[in-house]
Amino acid sequence: MKYFFLSLLFLISAAQATQVLIEFKSPEQQALFKELTHELRCPKCQNQNIADSNAVVAVDMRNKTLELVQQGQDKAQVLEYMKSRYGDFVHYQPPLNKFTLILWLLPALMVVGLMVLLLVRRKAQGKAVVSEAADQAQMQSEPELEQQLDQLIEQYRRKS
Amino acid sequence: MRKLAFFIPFALFIGLSVFLFSGLFSNPMERESSVIDKPLPAFALPDLQQPEKIWTPDSVKGKPFLLNVWGTWCVTCNAELAYLTELREQGVMIVGLYYQQPVDAAFGEVFNLAALQQEVALKLEQQGNPYQWNILDKDRTLIFDLGVTGAPETFLVDAQGIIRQHHIGDINPQVWQQKLAAAYQSLQE
Repeated sequence: MKYFFLSLLFLISAAQATQVLIEFKSPEQQALFKELTHELRCPKCQNQNIADSNAVVAVDMRNKTLELVQQGQDKAQVLEYMKSRYGDFVHYQPPLNKFTLILWLLPALMVVGLMVLLLVRRKAQGKAVVSEAADQAQMQSEPELEQQLDQLIEQYRRKS
Repeated sequence: MRKLAFFIPFALFIGLSVFLFSGLFSNPMERESSVIDKPLPAFALPDLQQPEKIWTPDSVKGKPFLLNVWGTWCVTCNAELAYLTELREQGVMIVGLYYQQPVDAAFGEVFNLAALQQEVALKLEQQGNPYQWNILDKDRTLIFDLGVTGAPETFLVDAQGIIRQHHIGDINPQVWQQKLAAAYQSLQE
């Protein structure tokens, strides 16, 4: 068992040794490359960014991103390059257009709708309370009922 | 008011159910292509079997054709070779775009053209050869410019070199009939 873990350790170190170090001209380019590879989405995989995936297309996109960044292109230019080939799908931040408008509108509509519903309900409840109070007032104002009640109580007292 | 209070959550529930239920039958691999109705991107790539011959957008266009991205390493591509060959026999022009996988230098792999030519020739001899010719895209540059996510993928290109359709996945009788046949026929006229 000990040897198994030891050999595993060696395997891991061998795997790490094959990782390629990328050299950047400036820390800004390095940061941009990191940002882009995290925001660009692998078109072949289910929900992985290209930094995460080793699918052939993701590796190619990563290399292309590196090439463009090292050429000095900015974020918008690289994104445009990728989108013109792989579509809006490839960026994790979808643009605002007629297909995606509903994503922005729906939450706002829901908040407004809920507020309207709440207001309507509160109003209706308020009315109900008022009418109940009015009912009670009416009841109390009827002396006949009270008389009947008195009579009933009297009857029961006599029985017992 | 009571009725409304009952109906709103009920309607929301029904709406959500329908939305999620229809999601069960959608294809998560479906992608919108951004190359449709655009001309073939610029390229100059060698023929797979005769590398001295260089193909460019101008030299491939002239007749409507299917550009089929494939590789001998790709299982689904092998499966569609037989049907594509059938289509060729029916007169459909098919050009192969060979998807070369990256060679891993860390494992001592080197790109060997002669071995690849042999492998491709053998494969096509065994499974049927649907291709008029094959374009070798060793570094996947044209494949990248076409927005190819993997193999197999097929583009329908018209006589002017404009891309009309982009199909991800294999071509089988059903896909051909439903998606490509009519478009191909209309390009013929």
